[in-house]
Amino acid sequence: MRQLFIAATAAFWLLLLGFASSDRWLPAVLEAPLPVADSQVHALSEVARHHTADDCWMAINGQVYDLSSYLPEHPSEPEVIVAWCGREASEAYRSKMKGRAHSARADRLLAAYRIATFKP
Amino acid sequence: MNLWPSAAARAASARCLVAPMLALSIALASVYWAFPEDLTAWRSTGIVAGWAGTALLVASLVLMVRETRLARLVGGLELSYRWHHRCGMLAYLLLLCHPLALALDAWAEAPPLAWQTLDPRAQSWPLWLGWAGLLLLMLGLAATFAVHLPYRRWRGFHFLLGGGVLLGLAHVYVLLGSEPLLLALLLIAALALGWRVLASDLGLAAHPYRVTQVEKPAAGMIEASLAPCAAALAVSPGQFVLAAFGDGISYHGCGEYHPFTVSGIDRQGRLRVCIKALGPCSQRLQEVEAGVLVHLEGPFGRFLDDPGSAAQLWIAGGIGITPFIAKLRAQACSQPTTLIYLYRDAVGAAFLEELAAAARDDPLFELLSDASGESLPDFERLLQQVSRLGEREVHLCGPQPLLAAISAALRQRGVGAAAIHFESFDFR
Repeated sequence: MRQLFIAATAAFWLLLLGFASSDRWLPAVLEAPLPVADSQVHALSEVARHHTADDCWMAINGQVYDLSSYLPEHPSEPEVIVAWCGREASEAYRSKMKGRAHSARADRLLAAYRIATFKP
Repeated sequence: MNLWPSAAARAASARCLVAPMLALSIALASVYWAFPEDLTAWRSTGIVAGWAGTALLVASLVLMVRETRLARLVGGLELSYRWHHRCGMLAYLLLLCHPLALALDAWAEAPPLAWQTLDPRAQSWPLWLGWAGLLLLMLGLAATFAVHLPYRRWRGFHFLLGGGVLLGLAHVYVLLGSEPLLLALLLIAALALGWRVLASDLGLAAHPYRVTQVEKPAAGMIEASLAPCAAALAVSPGQFVLAAFGDGISYHGCGEYHPFTVSGIDRQGRLRVCIKALGPCSQRLQEVEAGVLVHLEGPFGRFLDDPGSAAQLWIAGGIGITPFIAKLRAQACSQPTTLIYLYRDAVGAAFLEELAAAARDDPLFELLSDASGESLPDFERLLQQVSRLGEREVHLCGPQPLLAAISAALRQRGVGAAAIHFESFDFR
């Protein structure tokens, strides 16, 4: 069991290291940013300034969305989604109730609110 | 010869399945409840791994509880701890897969997103809780496998695992809120941890006894007589208790619970325990004096519990004589019984005279003693002296290397695995 622990832990950290350094070893074409409608790039500190229900930005899957006008239409309780305003919310977006992701329709809806690329 | 297992043997076999079935039930219930719909394969894998890992951690906590009835239900404390280790390890492996599978899901979408999914700098405290829990599990397990650490330090690091479980559950709670299954897991975890810390480690459920007499039956070994201060434990020969010795007039106890096999039980509930100087605490216990307060938990173990009707072969190595002397002191043998007593030299062999007297007085009891010095005993010669070896139920007690060597020698001489019984008393 000790050897299994050592092997699994070492493999975990190696994979983590691989992901962390992926920008160095991925082919150049993959290093290019995802296609965006404009050239704006926002950092988390900038997103964080928009953290209220009236001014709500979220970083989701590498993109920044201004969801201020959408919040009143969101089906869940307001506090559930407002809590993620001004934050990196990829995990929350992908694992809503019971770990289920949003639907493809929600993905298409979200795209309409994208304002920039997110820079972690 | 009766080839069918006795009812007691069948019940014991069934009890061996309780711990894995308990763990499997909790894991399957959690996965069933949270099973994802319409998600990618990697994302589903990540979610299932997370829930199965969390559920197995909770099962691992339950199997860490030191309680007599629970231990009996799951086939003994030793088996309970073995499954505690297995569940904990399997949970750790699944929880390592959880973030990796989520990262691979993001990778499938766009490779740069994989690290963004994992990078703590891009996350907030709900996910930091998860990372902190996983890192504590990693650190705690690393210390758990460091068997050469001094016991107290090892135990301190082992508590990190409890912290890791709580942080992991907090991570799920913050992400999902008060869902019924999660609340049930939290409740089970809190009860198990609470029982273990309050009732067992702090001794709130322990029975107070007092040391009445201390004898030295062999070099580096004492036998302490303990009288109950309140209700006595119902102990059978072959069982062990967990004992924490307190302070006396000129003795300072280490206060830790350690397992000691009972070497004598009388009708007033007084017990005798043998303590060999094997570590810092048991070394200090060689100086224990009458009047010291002892807290006992138990009894645990099923060794010698069901001797059946077959002839017996008992094999004891060193301090492993303890359960057998308890059995002989409790009652005369009811079936032909041969005891092979192995020790390095006569100075370190306890109860030799008492055993010889029992062999003289009891026509069903035969003693074969052997001083082998530093080398392994000549098992071939010893086992040749045992009549009808293949028909006997064999009970072994002693150091692990000796048990492994004897078991191999017995198997070579045709003794079936089902006829060989031992408990290892290794709780790390």
